Amino acid sequence: MTHPTHTTELGELTVTRVFDAPREMVFGAMLDPEQLTHFWGPIGSSTPIEGIVIEPWPGGRFETTMVPDGSPIEAGFVMKAVFVEVVAPEHIVFKQDLPTGEMTTASTYTDLGAGRTRVVIHQTNLPPEFTTDEAQAGFNSSLDRLESYLATRTR
Amino acid sequence: MDDTLLNSTFAALADPTRRAMLARLAQGDATVSELAAPFDITLQAISKHLKVLERAGLVVRGKDAQWRPCRLDSTPLETAAAWIDTNRKIWDDRLDQLDRHLQQLQATRSQSRGTRS
Repeated sequence: MTHPTHTTELGELTVTRVFDAPREMVFGAMLDPEQLTHFWGPIGSSTPIEGIVIEPWPGGRFETTMVPDGSPIEAGFVMKAVFVEVVAPEHIVFKQDLPTGEMTTASTYTDLGAGRTRVVIHQTNLPPEFTTDEAQAGFNSSLDRLESYLATRTR
Repeated sequence: MDDTLLNSTFAALADPTRRAMLARLAQGDATVSELAAPFDITLQAISKHLKVLERAGLVVRGKDAQWRPCRLDSTPLETAAAWIDTNRKIWDDRLDQLDRHLQQLQATRSQSRGTRS
């Protein structure tokens, strides 16, 4: 696996990784409840199979319950999402209704040859009115710039 | 800070004029006319932008009746940055674990292939 790369824009997140595994295998892991229990985590929590629902088609449910280690499943954090797009073995998009608006998570799987696969996770929590081209142009200020505001402020 | 405020933070930051105003305020407090000076837009337009920034909690107006200087409040920026950091951490963990899982899966498969041949 290569070093992770991040690009951070305001209100969105991109995470890129390259895996030493064939594309079908990586893509398949994302939609298989049994395999999800091995990695969905995050660290310090587990995702028991009885809390997982995967209906891999547009409009299908995608639900997980992330349970902090040592806690009962009832204490877990339930994620309820709906698949928008499932194109094997290339692309998965799901969305969640959050109090901050609709969050969309897209993952793209690229075959790099020699049994390697690049995965790009792109997550946005922008409400629909900010997803026009014009508004998007406004979001092009990077988090670096945001952090430099903060640095200046706390100096 | 509640989620509505987080939303208005992202909305407030989506405009280049408002970001430039925040960058100016990061250098120190300013009056409305000082804020307006670098821009080729009316004082009225600046006031509108200022209201958006105030609603998002990014700008606080002073109590001084005559000047009411504007001050940057970076708390909403920190919350916006924290949202991004939390989600990044979750995906980093998840992809680390996926990498380990895929390695184990491949090891198991090549082992079973070895047994068959």
